[in-house]
Amino acid sequence: MNYPVWELTTFGGGFLIALIAVVHVFVAHFAVGGGAFLVLLESKAYRENDQGLLTYVKKHSKFFLLLTMVFGGMTGVGIWWIISLVSPGATSALIHIFVFGWAAEWVFFLAEIIALFIYFYTFGKMDRKNHLLVGWLYFFCAFMSLFLINGIIGFMLTPGAWLENQNFWSGFFNPSFWPALVFRTGLALVMCGVFGFVTGVWLKDDVLRRKVMRTCALWVMAPFVLMVAGGWWYIQALPAAPRSMIFEKSPELATYVATLSWFMPLLFVAALVMTLRLPRGLQKVGAVAVMVIAFVYLGSFEFLREGGRRPFVLYQQMYSNQIALADVPRIEEAGFLATARWAQHRQLGTDNELAGGRELFILQCSACHAVDGPLNDIKPLIRHYDSVFGVDAKLAGLGAASAYMPPFLGSLEERWALARYLVAEINGLKVAGQRGDLNMGNPVFARPELEVSVPAKNEMYVLLAWSQLGMGEIVDDNPFFRLQPPGNDLVAQLVRRGDSPQRITSGVTLSYQLDQPVAGVPGAAVTGELKVDRDAGAYFAKALPAPPYQNDGSYLPYPTYTVTARDTASGVVLATTRVVAPVATEMGCKNCHGGGWRVDDITGLSDETAAQILEVHDRISGTTLLAAAETGEITDCKSCHGDSATDSPGDPRQLSFSAAMHGWHALFLADSVEQQACVACHGARPQGPTHFYREHHGAFMNCSNCHGTMTRHALALLHQEDRAGKDGAAPLIAQLESRAVADSVTINGRRAWEQQPDCLTCHEDFAMGTSVDAFNVWTSGVDELFRNRHDLMGVMMCQACHGSTHALYPAQNSYGGQRDILQPLQYQGNDRPIGNDCTVCHTVAPTFEGHHPNSLRL
Amino acid sequence: MDPALLIPAADVLPAPWGWFYGLLLVTFLLHLLVMNAMLGGGIIALISSFRGDYPGRMLCREFSYKWPYTIAFAVNFGVAPLLFLQVLYGHFIYVSSVLMAVWWLAIIAMLILAYYAAYLYDFRFEDLGVPRIFVVQLAVILLLLIAFMFTNNMTLMLQPQRWLAYFDNAQGTLLNLADATLIPRYLHFVVGAVAIAGLYLALVGHFGWQKSRVEPSLLVDRGLRYFNLATLAQIPVGIWFLLALPREVMLIFMGRSLAATLLLVAGLVLTAVVLYLGHKQRVMATACVALVLMAVMVIMRDLVRSAYLRPYFSLSDLEVVTQYSPLIFFLLVFVGGLVLIGFMIRLALGCRGEVAK
Repeated sequence: MNYPVWELTTFGGGFLIALIAVVHVFVAHFAVGGGAFLVLLESKAYRENDQGLLTYVKKHSKFFLLLTMVFGGMTGVGIWWIISLVSPGATSALIHIFVFGWAAEWVFFLAEIIALFIYFYTFGKMDRKNHLLVGWLYFFCAFMSLFLINGIIGFMLTPGAWLENQNFWSGFFNPSFWPALVFRTGLALVMCGVFGFVTGVWLKDDVLRRKVMRTCALWVMAPFVLMVAGGWWYIQALPAAPRSMIFEKSPELATYVATLSWFMPLLFVAALVMTLRLPRGLQKVGAVAVMVIAFVYLGSFEFLREGGRRPFVLYQQMYSNQIALADVPRIEEAGFLATARWAQHRQLGTDNELAGGRELFILQCSACHAVDGPLNDIKPLIRHYDSVFGVDAKLAGLGAASAYMPPFLGSLEERWALARYLVAEINGLKVAGQRGDLNMGNPVFARPELEVSVPAKNEMYVLLAWSQLGMGEIVDDNPFFRLQPPGNDLVAQLVRRGDSPQRITSGVTLSYQLDQPVAGVPGAAVTGELKVDRDAGAYFAKALPAPPYQNDGSYLPYPTYTVTARDTASGVVLATTRVVAPVATEMGCKNCHGGGWRVDDITGLSDETAAQILEVHDRISGTTLLAAAETGEITDCKSCHGDSATDSPGDPRQLSFSAAMHGWHALFLADSVEQQACVACHGARPQGPTHFYREHHGAFMNCSNCHGTMTRHALALLHQEDRAGKDGAAPLIAQLESRAVADSVTINGRRAWEQQPDCLTCHEDFAMGTSVDAFNVWTSGVDELFRNRHDLMGVMMCQACHGSTHALYPAQNSYGGQRDILQPLQYQGNDRPIGNDCTVCHTVAPTFEGHHPNSLRL
Repeated sequence: MDPALLIPAADVLPAPWGWFYGLLLVTFLLHLLVMNAMLGGGIIALISSFRGDYPGRMLCREFSYKWPYTIAFAVNFGVAPLLFLQVLYGHFIYVSSVLMAVWWLAIIAMLILAYYAAYLYDFRFEDLGVPRIFVVQLAVILLLLIAFMFTNNMTLMLQPQRWLAYFDNAQGTLLNLADATLIPRYLHFVVGAVAIAGLYLALVGHFGWQKSRVEPSLLVDRGLRYFNLATLAQIPVGIWFLLALPREVMLIFMGRSLAATLLLVAGLVLTAVVLYLGHKQRVMATACVALVLMAVMVIMRDLVRSAYLRPYFSLSDLEVVTQYSPLIFFLLVFVGGLVLIGFMIRLALGCRGEVAK
């Protein structure tokens, strides 16, 4: 943000640095070890009086000079060049902190050049002892170069105490200094053997060639011990964060870990093979193969070491995109574009949103992401996003959910502009919707007005029926995962009218029948009896199998059932009523996971979305669910993530389904506008096809009034899990709390589905509400839930008179106003809660408020 | 947009800026000497190849032995001043480098090619035969291009007002072509390189450091001729460069700054002196005065830089948090390194007799 960014597009994403650095490091290690190799071989030749070997050493020294001094030396300068072009901020910091380290390295570089020149040009002309001494001096100077650069490179990953004291030596002799030095020294010696094969293989004298090959093999194999021990020590010396970044968190680095673990032993074996008595042609192939193996091996190591720093370029000082941590507060206060020196669009408006988004991409993303390039190409990573909302959420999760990336830094408007740029320009999609739009760019659905007839009331009996859940949310059948059985529960209570009305729980049979055919199931086929629960004083039918699709495939999330009460003995119909049994497939996973809607571009989870979800789960949690799906195994989410709503115990070590879902997704949706975070996933978009929040509270409250904002809601669930000893909760809590610093509320834990906001928090003593804040006070247990509670007499259930959760009377169903108030209309002729007219049940108007205080209020 | 807003915040220095300033000037002078021998020597070798005469061929052969050394040391001696330049002016040079990133990075590729071409020219001089002119041509063209990129960057870093071009081209392909000083400055360096390379060849002849069978007197004769002609040519080029400078910068040499004006006068007088000495073929005297002249030029160059940046920045603005132990460490390494180098050179010189055989 301090410097301009070189727009590399294809060769962005660190490609140029990686290319130059890996090539240089490959030769540079050889340049260090090669000194010892030359001198020791030269002494061996003297000792054994082997002129052939001496000639080889001289020839090898020419190769060494041309490779290490020209190519090695120049690519070394090249690294400095490229890092100052791609990461000028970090380069400047390293130059300023370690200027005298660099300057000392320059002195050794100079001495190294002079020593090598002298060694090469006086070969065979100088006194042997002195010549060997010059060779050793070369080795010493080259090793000191390694020594110095090792300190500075190590500082980038493990700055150690420097972060507190800013002392040169603390930074230099940082926690990974010595292990890295041992590792690199071993590596430098190994490389001598590798390059020795390359020159030795050209020797025509079979005996000499074999001797050289065996010597080189020994050079590869003997220092292996040093290298492996150094490598192991290095891993141990890494602080937990970079270690987990390398071995756990970064999905991309897993490939390099695997490559490294294969190629290291392979190198050893390849060197062993080179000792065999092979034809020269085959040995040449072998020499090249050894070099390739060594190159891949070293390249993987360097990638891992660099990767371990993520999301920093200088650990805990500067992010990979050149934003210094010290600048973060300023950015958070003023916005990124207004703070960045090299931004042109300092203020965003409607006319420059895309241009500003592009600028944000260049300044914050392009350091690591190429466009159409070989390294970290942004295109495949965001290909599945078709909504700006989804990308915006993804950006919000950076640094937390995607810990290997820096957080997005800037205002919410800037983040939206970047998201819009990514979808519109990188993905090339036309996108609609503004930030905060509750429809999130989805098509506006014109919900049809569907007729539903209200049954006539019966003089003797009042049959009340309802769905326990205001909405049964299900996912469509798909070959990837399933959440829960489809459908909703029906509950009914039967009352015989009278001066003192009586609840009937015996001698009657209650049955249900679906009113309209659903996809694949004729209406008449969905029929059955409700079973009495005498403790509850009600009849229940669980998990009615009713998908929200009609026979013609059209979406109807509010099918109705006719419930009939008959005298068991005579079969005479005592009462009939009609009830809506809401069920929805409008799960907004596609808003972020892509794949589009499954049905008519309005609802349903597509296979593509489902597959993407599993892919993400595999990537983040190290599972192999997608592969399992490909063999026909469908994942039952709740087999691991238990859920009391469906009586799924799950794996006791894993977070509950609700806690996992909300805890994880809160990282992305924490700062969405009010209920946007809720309706992004649940089918409650005002312009969507379900719109399940349809009760009168919706006129002045949204989801967050009762459930809390996304973050608070998630924290309540996570705190409970944390208390229950689930390991997965604490990291999520830490992430969420670090982002909600302004939230001073101590959030009470809540067991998902077993505890809910309590109506009486606002409606104290059943009075009219005086507050609209029901968050953070939870019902004590399952029995206290609105759906399980009874009136104060313990007779009528709350929902019998007030309707389902989220559809409390007077509710306004979007598929025709009457659909959610069938019983108030049937018994009272209005849309109020049952009992609004006491004579529905009481033939004589009562004066005593038996159900609950305030129940006689008209 | 105010270009001053684009200038990045500078990082903190670990020692007072004077240390880096001194090291910058000294190491730059060293770099300049070797770089001139490398580039100017290449140009002289190319001209000699074109002439095609026997003395020219001998001169080329001698230079071919020296060329790889000069490249190695030109690069090494270039590293140090660039390091100290980045310490003092990093927030300018990084920006200009990014703006011309493609060209700037191309320097590395060109340098590797030129370096290998120089080794080819050395190791395969006889085997190459006539086509070796193409090798020297290629290397010289590459080195001239590298010099051109450096001139571009060294001028672009001084002019934040030109950085605004980034907003129309962020692909790293900008050059500072519109700058009136670019060409005279470039020529000033290239012509100067030919002069110093001529002097270098004359010194090789004078001290008998030749490795080939070239007559030392030929090296002195031809070397000084190149020195004299190039130094003469430097007079109009220098005046052009001076006049092309922005008025505010030029005026420091015209009396506004006493030190700058005196340095200019000293430079002119020393130029006259070296021309006279060169004409008289007094190699050592010419070399000594030329060295002083170059030191004067290096300081003048730095005054130009300060004058360019005056509206935006001066070295005293830099924040310093001193920690002396790393500085002492460097100085010890530096002295130790010099002793080590001296020791190794003594060993090498000890077997020179054998080398000649």
